[in-house]
Order: sequence, then C-alpha cells, then structure tokens
Amino acid sequence: MRILVVAGEGGSVGGLLQNVRQWADDGRLEIDTAPDLPRAVRQLAGRRWDVVLAVLGEHPDDDLSWWVDTLRAPGSPRLIAVAPAPSMGLVLRAEKAGVLDVLSLPLRRDELVRALERLRSVGIETAVPLPLVEPHAVGPYALVGQSPAMLDVYKLLARVAGSSATVLVQGESGTGKEVVARAIHMNGPHATGAFVAVNCAAIPENLLESELFGHEKGSFTGAVTRKIGRFEQAGSGTLFLDEIADMSLALQAKILRAVQEREIERVGGGETIPIDVRLIAATNRDLKDAIKQGRFREDLYYRLAVVTIRLPTLVERGDDLVLLTAYYVRLFAERYGKKIHAISDRVLELLRAHAWVGNVRELRNVIERAVIVATDETLRADHLPDELRGEETTLADRPQGGLLTLAEAEARHIARVLAHTNGQIGAAAEILGIHRNTLTRKMKEYGL
Amino acid sequence: MTGPAPVRVEKALALMPELEALAPLRALLVSIARPDEATQWSSSGPYLTLGKRGVHPDELRRRMPQAFHRITEHLQVLFKAYVEALECQQRGDAPGVVAALLRAGRLEEDVGRHTQARAWYEVALGVAEALQDRRPEVEALRALGYVCLALGEYAAGARHFQRSLALAESEFDQAGATAASEGLGEVALAQGQWGGAQAWYSRGLRLAEAASDAPRAGRLERQLGVLARKQRDLAAAGEFLRRARERFEPAGLADEMAGVLNEQGRLDAQLGRYTAASAAYREALAWAQRAPRDARLELSIRLNLAELDLEADRLLEAEAELRRAEQVAIGGHVIRRLAQIYTLMGRLRGAQGDETGFVFFEQAIELAKVVERSVATEAQVYHAYGLFRSRLGQQDEARAYLERARELFDSLGEAVERERVEQELRALSA
Repeated sequence: MRILVVAGEGGSVGGLLQNVRQWADDGRLEIDTAPDLPRAVRQLAGRRWDVVLAVLGEHPDDDLSWWVDTLRAPGSPRLIAVAPAPSMGLVLRAEKAGVLDVLSLPLRRDELVRALERLRSVGIETAVPLPLVEPHAVGPYALVGQSPAMLDVYKLLARVAGSSATVLVQGESGTGKEVVARAIHMNGPHATGAFVAVNCAAIPENLLESELFGHEKGSFTGAVTRKIGRFEQAGSGTLFLDEIADMSLALQAKILRAVQEREIERVGGGETIPIDVRLIAATNRDLKDAIKQGRFREDLYYRLAVVTIRLPTLVERGDDLVLLTAYYVRLFAERYGKKIHAISDRVLELLRAHAWVGNVRELRNVIERAVIVATDETLRADHLPDELRGEETTLADRPQGGLLTLAEAEARHIARVLAHTNGQIGAAAEILGIHRNTLTRKMKEYGL
Repeated sequence: MTGPAPVRVEKALALMPELEALAPLRALLVSIARPDEATQWSSSGPYLTLGKRGVHPDELRRRMPQAFHRITEHLQVLFKAYVEALECQQRGDAPGVVAALLRAGRLEEDVGRHTQARAWYEVALGVAEALQDRRPEVEALRALGYVCLALGEYAAGARHFQRSLALAESEFDQAGATAASEGLGEVALAQGQWGGAQAWYSRGLRLAEAASDAPRAGRLERQLGVLARKQRDLAAAGEFLRRARERFEPAGLADEMAGVLNEQGRLDAQLGRYTAASAAYREALAWAQRAPRDARLELSIRLNLAELDLEADRLLEAEAELRRAEQVAIGGHVIRRLAQIYTLMGRLRGAQGDETGFVFFEQAIELAKVVERSVATEAQVYHAYGLFRSRLGQQDEARAYLERARELFDSLGEAVERERVEQELRALSA
C-alpha cells in the first residue's frame, strides 16, 4: 500500500510522518510526503497511490472539497483527512463524499490503523463471471430484465403496442420511460414513421411552443428561419412528450387541441396542418396530484392516459440489477475496447446496497465510469465512484465500537433531512417536528 | 411534507425589472438556485441550465440579511474611502485625496461595478491633474486604462495608458512606465494587434528587469508566452512560461503560479500533449487553492480543462468539469462566465449529435444579453451556435446564426473573430 502524506498550508508533516511510519509500517507500506498541495498534485500525477493522508488547513471545508474534487475519478487514491478539531459538519460532509476517514490531530495510532485496515479488508475480492443476458433491442436501447414487475410491463406493452392508443408512461426518473415508449412505437402501427422525442422540461418555456409546433420566419425575435416543429417532424410516426408535467397550462391547452382536432398551427402562421401522429407522454410526477393543485389540465390527462404504464424502480426489480449490470458492463467494455469478463463479489454487494435514486440511468452512469477506469478483466470495487465505495468503507462505523453518540446520530439525521429538503430549513424543521429556530441552532452547533 | 415546489429561476428573473439597484438581489437569487434531486436523474437532467434551477422564496427571504450585510459592508468601505479623501482635502494632502478616490474605484471594480469605478477614477484624475507631482496622475490614468479595458473600450484605454506612459517617462517613474507598457500590451492583445502587444510587453519586461521587479517581469513573460502561443511560436511560448515560473515559484506567488500553469496547460493542449496539459491545469488548481479565493481564476482553469476534455473527446470528463465550473460560477457570484460554460455545454452536446443541446445556446444568449450585457460574448455564442447547427446538418439555421455573429463582431470592430466567422460562412456556401 502506497501512502502520500500531505501537509496543510504552512504546516509540516515531519512529526505526522514519523508517527505514521512508526504505527502503520508493517513492511507492506510505502510512505512519501508532499509539503503542499501543488507538489502533492505533481506526485499524484507521477505514480499510483492507494491513500492520501491530507492535513486540512485553516479552511478545512474548502480543503476537503478540493481534495474530494481532485481525487474524484474512480481509481484515485482514497482520502484520509486529518484536521485539528473536525466539526460534526465536516465529518458528515466527508462521509457523504466517500472519504475513507476523518481523523483528528493529534493523530491516534488506533484510529489510523483502523482506517488502513478497513481499506485492506476491502481489497480482497472474488471474481464472479458476468451472467448471460438476453436484451430485447429497442433501437439504440434495450429492455433488460426478468423480474415479475418488468414481466407485467412487457405484457401491458405487448397489448397496447398494436393499437394507436395514446399512452401515458409513469415512473421515477431513470426507470426507462423513453425505452418503453420506443418499444411501443417499434411494435405498433406507426413503426414505419419517425420516433420523435421532446423533453418538455429541458426546453425553455418560451421556446417549447415553437419547438413543438414550429414557427414561420420572423414570427418572433430569434425566428431566423422557418422551423418545422416536432409534431410535423414525427409525420405518421410517434411523438414522445417526456416530462409532460413541466408544461405550462397555456401550452397544455394547445396540446389538447392538437390531440382532439388532429391539427396544429405553426407559431406566427395561419395555415392549419393536419397531423397523423401517435402520442406517448411520460412523467415522473403524480399527474393526479398536479391536477388537484391546478397545475395540470384534467381533460388533457384523460386524453393522454388512455392506457397507463407504470414502471418499477430499480430497487423493486430485484435481481434485474445484476442483469442490467452485466448488460452495461458488456456494452461499455465493447465501446471502450476493454476485456471485462467478471465483476467482483464486493462490487455486487455495493451495487445491491445502494439506494439508486436515479434508477437504471444512475446504474448505467456508474458502470460506464467504472468500465472506463478498469484496467483488468474484473470490475472491482475501486473502479466504482467514491459515493458507492463510501457506503461500505467510510465513516459508518465511527467511533470505536460502531456505536454513535446521541449527538452524532442527531447530526446525521438532521443532515439527511436537510439533504432531502435541498437545504430548506422550514421544510426540514417541519419533517423533524421542531421549530425552525431550534433547527438553526442545532445546525450551528453541529457545523452543518 | 416537503413544502411547495421551488420557483424556476427563469420565472423568478422574469419578475425582476432590470434595475441596477436590484443587482445584488439578482446575484443572491442566482447563487441560491439549486436543481432538485429528481431533476438531476431525470431525462432533462443533462440539459439543466440556470433557468431550470429552483429557488424557494423562503430561502431568499432568509438569506436577504446576508446580502444586505454585503451591500452595507461595501457601502461602508466606499463611504470611508470618500471621507478619507475629504480629510486629506481638509489638510491639503492632494495626493492622499487621489489615493483615497482610487481606492474607492478599486472597491467598485472588486464587485464588478466597472462603470462606477470609472466615475471614481475620473474624479481622481481631475484632482491629480492639478498637482505638481505627476505620479498620482500616472496612477489614475493607469486605473482608467484598466477599467476601460474591462468595459471593452479599447481606444479610450489605450489613450489613458499612453498618457500614463508619457508622464511616467517624463517623471523618471520607472515602475509607472513599466505598468503603463504592460497596460498598452493588454489593450493591443485584446484587439488582436499582436505586433504591438509584443513591442509593449517586451519594453515593459526590459524596464521591469532593470528595476529587479521580479513579479512584474514574471507577469510580462507570461503575457509574452500567451502572445507567442497565439502567434503559434510554441517554442518561444514555452520558454517565456518557463521563465515566468522560475520567477514565481521561489517567491511562492500562488495566484501567479496558478495563472502561469493555466497558460502552460493551454500551450500543452495546443501542442497536442493532453496528459501534460491536464497535469498543468490540475497543478494550477492546486496553486489556486493556496492563494486567496478567486472564483474567476478557478473558473478560467476549469473551463480550459473542460475544453481540453472536449477536444480530446473525453465527453464524460468534460461534462463533469463543466458542471463543477457551473457550480463555482453560481456559488462564487461569477454569473458572467455562465454564458461561456453553457456555450461549451452546447458544443459538447453537438459533439454527441444531440439536437436538444440547443437549449444551452439559448440560455447562453439570454445570459449574454441580460446578465453579462456583453455583445462580444453574445457574438461568440452565436458563432458556436452556428457551428452546432451546421454539425447537425441544419445549414439554413447555421448560416443565420453565423451571420448574426458576424454582424455583432462587426459592431465591435473585432477583425480576427469576424474573419473566423467569415471563413465558416464561406465553408457553408461551398
């Protein structure tokens, strides 16, 4: 194991280095030092390191962010941060970022040895061959999975595809709504036509109308040429309106008219253009709830939801996780010219333990990055991003004995709730059932 | 129960009139805007721009005291500088008056209020012109030169630097003459007059070396390196940068080291040395971390790093770096650079053949017009937008956007960039 000990700003690592050598050197350790951040970067670029033991300077939060950013690439050394008196906030932020450990100065032997032991223990991994997968190709994508939840989706998909019915696909972000929409298109009567996808949430509201319906040259500032909209582009194919709940009420009315009358008008144009397009809409929101709040038209909902397909989350799909992992490993190994035939048992454990907020899209992202950094035939834990590895090897067992103090448990829970509410104190206080002033005081106390 | 949904920035900004007095509120609103967790993994996540981030009125209200504090703090030091000028006036210390007024101008420049800074400098110049000692005038003219440069008023900037140089030479003020030469070099470089820039920087370097002013000599060598790279004399560029590094590193000038390594990265990138360029940028970020926090410098390095990844077809890394740059720009109140960030995002989507990437150019144009109010930036965005459309085979739209870029560069008298656009237009017609 190779360790780079890096001094904080204006500090020296002499004493620290001596201690590290004395406590941790069992013949398998190679230790070197860097007097400051720039020289540390030079040394990191020069050869492979397993651990960076970095002393944080006067601004520990900034230094920690900088180190996390510098060592963010999968395959980078793990970080052990050392600070004179780490605040609870610093420890929690480090934990979230996948830092191996945060130790306080003066350094204690048992804490350092435990952190290094944790890293060593996860180094033992057994290769598991990639299982066989039979993907169902859907254009550039594929449907992968045999879980009962997905079998229900396939059955419904088969029933609805043959008709021209409008379909509403509902599911959390990253569950594969567009893939399902493409599958419906490819297996339906509009398959010979184009499949045109529009992401309603991505396009600025003032441009969405012209994107969908087109515009005549000069009809508004920026209309530099005549534009054919997506309805027309789809011709007799399928128009997929993704994230439909993000559309304004005014535009919803125009979509409703297009669906009902089967005709559209370009922005700034007087001509009525007939359309013969199959419409599939998708959303990750609860449209009925949006109707109650007056943010979505009820009449449009019933026009769109002639058939509704609900997609399961990745967690609900059980062992599909393994099949999808294998599928993506093969896909990206081929794309990046790698020969990967197996994944380690620890990778599987880490993948299974993860919450997958972004579902299949997040898994795809994780596997792509892992494949890019993999150098051998087995995908190992150190190829995964820190956020995933962190779930097993970071501060979870702090302090000694694996039990948290009441204050630590409280700070962690507050940090989680704040993350959930995107830092909104009012909403967090409501969830926690305490007054916002109390929450503010606790946040200060814990350095959150 | 997570409370009401946040308001989108595009809607929030639409409710705010374009009043100068609201600029701090606008900056605060932007800095607290966040994407919600669901959006990050949704299919619109990759297209997320500032306009699609959300703000909670509650949070804006809660953070307002911080903004008021910053405004009050700024006004306090500004007013103090003025009172100091008055005190100097009272005791007949005219150079002190000039120094205090120049300090007030710099305070305005620090918060990006260049027009206001110029007003302070003009008053300072008026006082300085009546003095026997011409050095305060040299300094006031130099300050005016730089603020004109920041405002894109190159001709006015050059006039101020010329006057500053003539006065400094007549007063045997070597430091003043060196600084004025550097300023004239900056104006020439900004206008693409490379021969002129080289002559001014070289002259400044000779003066700085004669005065043993190592930091200034290093800066001039770095600028000569920039110039040599632009003129494709890459060996000379490397030599200038090496010499600049040798001056800065022993002195531990972290911000200067970050700047010179940033330029070294650009040189290595131009030489096709991807790994060396990447290492130079990473080291530049490390030096920037040692220096007092400068979000502009960090952004410049991160954008160069992203562009390097983009050119090397490392699109995942480029996107990650651009998202970090976006975070730095939003969190560090450097909204002006967002247009550049989104232009690069658009280029990245163009490289992926992704038509929806147009949303980044639209957002960049909006920011260039409304926030940055820079015709030069708007022109650059239209140029990149035209190339994006061309890459997707949409030739009519490509031509229209390139023509718009040409028109904007024309209005600025920007010959080098205009010629580049003209070449693209000729290629489209061929």
